[in-house]
Amino acid sequence: MKNKLVLILCALVVGVLPTTVSAQSRLRVVTTLATFADLVEQVGGEYVKVDALVSPKFNPHFIEPKPGDVLKVKRADLFVHAGLDLELWRFSLVDAAGNTQVRPGGDRELDLSQGVMLLDVPNESVSRAQGDIHIYGNPHYWLSPKNVKVMVQSLAEKLSNLDAEHADEYQQSAERYIAELDRKIQQWEKAMLSEGQGFVAYHNEWLYLAHFLGLESTLFLEPNPGIPPTPKHVGKIKALMKEHNIRTIVRANYNPSSVAEALARELGVSEVVLCPQVNALKPCTDYLQMMNYNVQSLKEALLHE
Amino acid sequence: MKFYTYFLAGLLCLQGSAWAQVDEESFKALQQQVEQLTQVVNRLVDNTETQKTRIAELEAENSQLKQTMDKKVSIQRAEGSSSAKGLAAFNPDIGVILDVTGQLSQSDEDAEGNDKISARELELVFGHDVDPYTRLDATVTLSDFEEVSLEEAYATYWGIPNVNTRLGRFRPRVGKATALHRDQLKTVDEPLVVQKYLGVEGLSRSGVEFSGFIPAPWEDVVTHEWIAGVMEGGVGEDGALFGDVRRRPSLYARLRHFIEFSDETQLDLGSTYLTGSSDDDQRFEVNALALDATLTHYLTPNNPLTLQAEAMLQDRDETDVLMEDKPWGFYALADYKLNDRFSIGGRYDWVEPIGLDVISSPRNEETAWTGYFTFHQSEYARWRLQYQHAELAEGTNDDRLFLQATFAIGVHKHAIQ
Ligand SMILES: [Zn+2]
Repeated sequence: MKNKLVLILCALVVGVLPTTVSAQSRLRVVTTLATFADLVEQVGGEYVKVDALVSPKFNPHFIEPKPGDVLKVKRADLFVHAGLDLELWRFSLVDAAGNTQVRPGGDRELDLSQGVMLLDVPNESVSRAQGDIHIYGNPHYWLSPKNVKVMVQSLAEKLSNLDAEHADEYQQSAERYIAELDRKIQQWEKAMLSEGQGFVAYHNEWLYLAHFLGLESTLFLEPNPGIPPTPKHVGKIKALMKEHNIRTIVRANYNPSSVAEALARELGVSEVVLCPQVNALKPCTDYLQMMNYNVQSLKEALLHE
Repeated sequence: MKFYTYFLAGLLCLQGSAWAQVDEESFKALQQQVEQLTQVVNRLVDNTETQKTRIAELEAENSQLKQTMDKKVSIQRAEGSSSAKGLAAFNPDIGVILDVTGQLSQSDEDAEGNDKISARELELVFGHDVDPYTRLDATVTLSDFEEVSLEEAYATYWGIPNVNTRLGRFRPRVGKATALHRDQLKTVDEPLVVQKYLGVEGLSRSGVEFSGFIPAPWEDVVTHEWIAGVMEGGVGEDGALFGDVRRRPSLYARLRHFIEFSDETQLDLGSTYLTGSSDDDQRFEVNALALDATLTHYLTPNNPLTLQAEAMLQDRDETDVLMEDKPWGFYALADYKLNDRFSIGGRYDWVEPIGLDVISSPRNEETAWTGYFTFHQSEYARWRLQYQHAELAEGTNDDRLFLQATFAIGVHKHAIQ
């Protein structure tokens, strides 16, 4: 009996040992999305060490956090997430991590939705009958570069608060990046030839991109956000595509290809795969490259109409 | 006439050059002034252009806003979801999960679910932060066949550095399947090894549990987690690992290794040591080792394949020589998600019951083959059809068909396993 108790105590002691082996001077930032990690790197540069939890190969709405993710959040100096209901799994993640400062409202938590322009915010009360997610408004807001300007500013402020020593550097990097974004925004806006064209999307996650480029994104293969396509609903979308002569279907790299491909074949329309996240596809190496790729691909697809 | 024109022009030129020679300096000054004026005008033109573009932008934004308003949705500056909105932020999160199961069975016994449809379980889930260091979670289970039971009611405390503490009544993390709620299982029922040893619905006990991570240089690839706890004696309904005496505590310690080979492939390995009593004396005469392995592989982001196996081996101090003193059992499960709506799977169970008279019993073990088909209607609604063929120790066989429907409303949250 005594031996058993000693064993359990040993296990306890090993767990209590300080978990940081070497004192790292860099701020450890953990983000949910790869896109946020890119922005943190742009602002934080050499003073931060960034880890993104969700692989861009997967749909960020439906992730099962792994023990490694729990450990990263436990040790994070700053936890950056999308807020709203994009990552519903993040609540049990911070519970498991037990890092009280990154809990909702904590000093080392940053909700990047703060201050951004939200679309599709329901005016009336909502219920799950309208779908599983997007109940506070459309949470895919980083696909508007104008929102990214707000997000970069929030990041600079948060990093400056946590690491006052390098506050000037963070502010300068943010200003430089915002200036670069402004230049790019003009290019992207000019790239889109005709306004008001529309496309069908698998999931309602291209709304901000469409809004930014003056395009229409109102039809989706999912009957409601997060509900897989049903044959009946796809039939309805098919009829609407014919009626309004919509000739482009857009999906994310992680959306199932079967429904979109079959519909594109049947109607003889183009199907285009865009990057919802940095690193989702090879050309999307950072946020600016991702926007270049998305704008260019969308433009080419719409030109084929 | 022509002559006069040329003459006048010539005269003017002469006069001009003469005048220029006379006052070249003031001419240069004038030239400079004109240049400066041109610059000012250019700047003004530039400004007007930028203002025009800005006005066009604002007009476009305005018309988009109007359009969006027409669609009964609005554009808003997000306040961020973290900011608490009034006193409502202090209300606990509430979730309700309903499990309705219909069952066709060969068994004659009029027991839970036999040849009937039952609201097998209605789980009421509550939870909220108590203070920045503590969270309270509770699960109350109602059923049309049993009395109300307190499945879970525990506080999670994060105040000790690197250690998470759970105190109260909870599902101890002594294995994979037993630690899960029914709605998280891949199958309608718990594996036989869990049912026979820990209880038909797995283990739920009062106690205290500590957990944490073991630092390692390779932790980007492998995460090591430890769990240790003390709980009241006894096990769940129809379980037989420990006796019924609750005042004789049971102890457990678990080591878990989670290996991330890639974004698509992960292996979860666990070993748990449990010790407790089968009666009211002071000894810890029942020792058990539980081993588990789970391999998850995503063939595509929407097609995960899960292979899982768990085994429990025991060393029991049985006084009756006719009884097996080292009974063991295991299950192996495969689950494949065909697409975002359907998954299929199967499970094989093999278990040696505790307290079985090995001489007189027709079979020394119980086995079961299970196949199932799951329809994921949405994240919050799911249907499952399951067939099971079981060969029982008493010598009979049982074929059962289940139809299970699971619905969840409200804030439906489960702890990460
Ligand atoms: Zn979404």
